[in-house]
Amino acid sequence: MIKGLLKKDLYNLASYKVSLIIVILFCSLAMIGTDAIYWSSIVIGIIVGMISLSTFNYDEISKANKYILTLPPTRKEIVLEKYVLAICSMILGGLFGFGLTLLVGSLLNYLRPDDFVDISLDTLVSTSVGGMFGVALIQAIQIPSIFKWGAEKGRIQMFVIILFLALLISGIGFALDKMGSSLDIESLERIFNDFGLILLLLLSFLMYFISYKISYKIYKAKEV
Amino acid sequence: MNNIEVRNLSKEYDGFLLDNVSFDVPAGAIVGLIGENGAGKTTTIKALFNIIGFKGDVKIFGKDSKVYEKEIKKDIGALFDDSFLSDYLNCKHINKIMKDFYETWDEKKYFDLLKQFDLPLNKLVKDFSSGMKMKVKIAVAMAHSPKLLILDEPTSGLDPVVRSEILDLFRKYIEEDESRSILLSTHITTDLEHISDYILFIDNGKIVLDVPTDELLEDYGVVKCSEEDFLKIKAEDYVSYKKGKYQYAVLIKNKNEFKRKYGITTIDKPSIDDIMLFYIRGEK
Repeated sequence: MIKGLLKKDLYNLASYKVSLIIVILFCSLAMIGTDAIYWSSIVIGIIVGMISLSTFNYDEISKANKYILTLPPTRKEIVLEKYVLAICSMILGGLFGFGLTLLVGSLLNYLRPDDFVDISLDTLVSTSVGGMFGVALIQAIQIPSIFKWGAEKGRIQMFVIILFLALLISGIGFALDKMGSSLDIESLERIFNDFGLILLLLLSFLMYFISYKISYKIYKAKEV
Repeated sequence: MNNIEVRNLSKEYDGFLLDNVSFDVPAGAIVGLIGENGAGKTTTIKALFNIIGFKGDVKIFGKDSKVYEKEIKKDIGALFDDSFLSDYLNCKHINKIMKDFYETWDEKKYFDLLKQFDLPLNKLVKDFSSGMKMKVKIAVAMAHSPKLLILDEPTSGLDPVVRSEILDLFRKYIEEDESRSILLSTHITTDLEHISDYILFIDNGKIVLDVPTDELLEDYGVVKCSEEDFLKIKAEDYVSYKKGKYQYAVLIKNKNEFKRKYGITTIDKPSIDDIMLFYIRGEK
């Protein structure tokens, strides 16, 4: 049953592919080859990772929820499918951001040896994983709110969440700066080295799990 | 044997109450669900699918619709006028998706129906006309040969020729297997005059009429008379009346009985629309 729902969402997303490729290429060209190269893996990861949420918009446009509830998939399966898609897009986004940054960065270094940008694999892994964790966090907050309030209101909320996170990170950076430290890629890498990838994975899993439980509770009682 | 049994179905919204609705949809029958906008037709259909919460009992194929929801839904084909899987799919995509939902999905039947409806396979549904969209929905609802079709406004947006073609399809679907049923909600009541076996009329959240279509069309009548003649008619002998400028139009339930009792021989045959209007707008 989940397979059918996944197919529906993937076919929907296929109509999105041209705009997605343009955005990714734009980001790649704008950021890769500059000092902000590592951020490009995060940005690309976020763009790809957040795409899955647009499937809610397609459902809303076609008022698909009412129809889907007449089909054999249960409400549990409908909610679960959205999480499977979200997690897959998060992983794909991370891998894609990592791969594209490495590929385009190396290509630019080859084409412009005078303007060589050093790409550290360790740092690239750390930033990509960091980006994936960020996507997981946004998705875990976002999906229950979309199930509750719908995609339109949910999108506004997404911007609020991103703005809040940006302000939070800036605030932490500002505080660290005042304390004589700084928030840079190296410190992010140190955090990963200290706490490890496993911890982040476990945290992501926990976030998704709690988020899924909340979403199911909301959707179980939802009348469309 | 009933494919749907609804007992004391109630649902309350702000300013609306679906009030203790009870009805059956027998096997081998097409039941037409009629009523004004907002009367409770779609709410009733949503309750059958557990799309909304409700009080009361709903049994489909003799099984509790809440307990056996998944199993039951495998044998139902549904259609909503305003809702579908997605508008960003083409007919081939839909086939690939639907065969994952229904073990009994019949690709050949689906594509045959699309061919019969002259629908393009590679065009996105969003680029279809409203009539074409409806045809896709009908093909999807019927392709897994369900035991029960629940259709909300299936002929809206279709021209008379296609409508007639679709109605023939529904009739054939029932004739193929007498254990099947159709619950069909529509505004185009002339469609029901041709194909329905029962009429279920819902008004303001209540069932006001649940009768065989033949009985409705044969036994009901409209008497047009003067005020003087109208005053002679006993209240229990008519359903409702409408007062015109020069005469009264009176809806009666039993033509033959009325003729015998009052000696009035000119009685018009009302359409389902007329009867519905008498019930909604008429006075008693």
